[in-house]
Amino acid sequence: MDFIYQNISVKGLLVVLPKNERDFMDDMKMFDFPESRSLKLKEVMGYDKHRVVEEQTCVSDLAIHGLKHLFNNGSLDKDGFDSLIVVTQSPDYLIPGTSNVIQGELELRQDIFCMDITQGCAGYIVGLMQAFMLIQQSNVNRVVLINGDVLSRKVSIHDRNSYPLIGDAVSITVIENNDTQKVFANIKMDGRDRGALEIPAGGFRMPSNAKTSILEDIGDGNKRSKDNLKMDGSAVFNFVQSKVPNMIDDLLNFSNTNLNEIDYFLFHQPNRFMLEKLADKMDIPYEKMPNNIVENFGNSSGVTIPVAIAYNLSNNLLQQKHKVCLAGFGVGLTWASMIINLGDFDFCEIIDY
Amino acid sequence: MNNFYEKLADILEIENIKDEDILRDFEYWDSLTVLSILAMLDSEMSVIMSSDELDECITARDLFVKVESKNN
Repeated sequence: MDFIYQNISVKGLLVVLPKNERDFMDDMKMFDFPESRSLKLKEVMGYDKHRVVEEQTCVSDLAIHGLKHLFNNGSLDKDGFDSLIVVTQSPDYLIPGTSNVIQGELELRQDIFCMDITQGCAGYIVGLMQAFMLIQQSNVNRVVLINGDVLSRKVSIHDRNSYPLIGDAVSITVIENNDTQKVFANIKMDGRDRGALEIPAGGFRMPSNAKTSILEDIGDGNKRSKDNLKMDGSAVFNFVQSKVPNMIDDLLNFSNTNLNEIDYFLFHQPNRFMLEKLADKMDIPYEKMPNNIVENFGNSSGVTIPVAIAYNLSNNLLQQKHKVCLAGFGVGLTWASMIINLGDFDFCEIIDY
Repeated sequence: MNNFYEKLADILEIENIKDEDILRDFEYWDSLTVLSILAMLDSEMSVIMSSDELDECITARDLFVKVESKNN
């Protein structure tokens, strides 16, 4: 499905990362796995350092820390936004929404539209799409979009395919309606293959109990329970390679844009390998498609897109505008992309929690 | 076939591959190898294979036959 949004301006981006950093090679010592193969994984996939929260930390903790930072330095007025959207798969509670938790804790005004969206690897783009729809309303002048996950808390420490690469992060994006640019986006979904990325237990279909917490052998010496996040890496790889290049082609056609007009391709960052294969397939030079987020911070699902923007382009985007192509793909399964001019930001930085 | 076995041997970091070699018995048969094979098939042979399809192959020859059947 194709979308066009008008009068959209992204005014700033803040990324909040937990300061607790883990090292891939240290993590791999917990597994019965040859060191030479771990080094190979590090080299090919780009696994190295990753940021994970302490045991009790929630998405709202990082988000509130970030919002206070923006309130205190004058980047954002506490009463100056009309909607607060939170995109997460790791909410503080089943009920109520994390957006209401944040609203309450910060004592934001009542005349505000709080909304939670459950989305994963495409979550940043889905959140932007929702923000852009809201901003078309004459009474909505500014939207704060929070995209965050702390999925390290749901990953089995005995699952070598997930634990050493998972990352936690929260991003805060401010969207306003005072520009003339058109934004183009497309999205597709296929719920039949949703099992490739899932947490089986903990919802109403399979409530968590003593049984769902039992570690099960999943092959290759890895163990995980029904309460844990499952990532079927090779199924996701196939899905990404077969869907994403066509999606970007469609978006370029739909928006009447030439591939060479795009300054940067800021894609979800599952690992360096997958991004390099995508770039090869689409004839995009590596320097236009940053792939350095997993090696520095880990895979934080959809938040890897704003992290990639803030880490690679922050100085750039404070001074000028760039035409960029965003793409997210994963949980759902969902694949979405967007062509947007980003830049002239009021703020663009990464802080620690 | 030689060309395909050479590529496979490169990924598995061994000298050569024989028809009857059992894929799972290779020292370096792991998730990284599986991904590398799927990527090699896609980028160098224009063959899209799923990990489930790869799982069905027992020997190197099984894999070769499956790749050929998808190639034609």
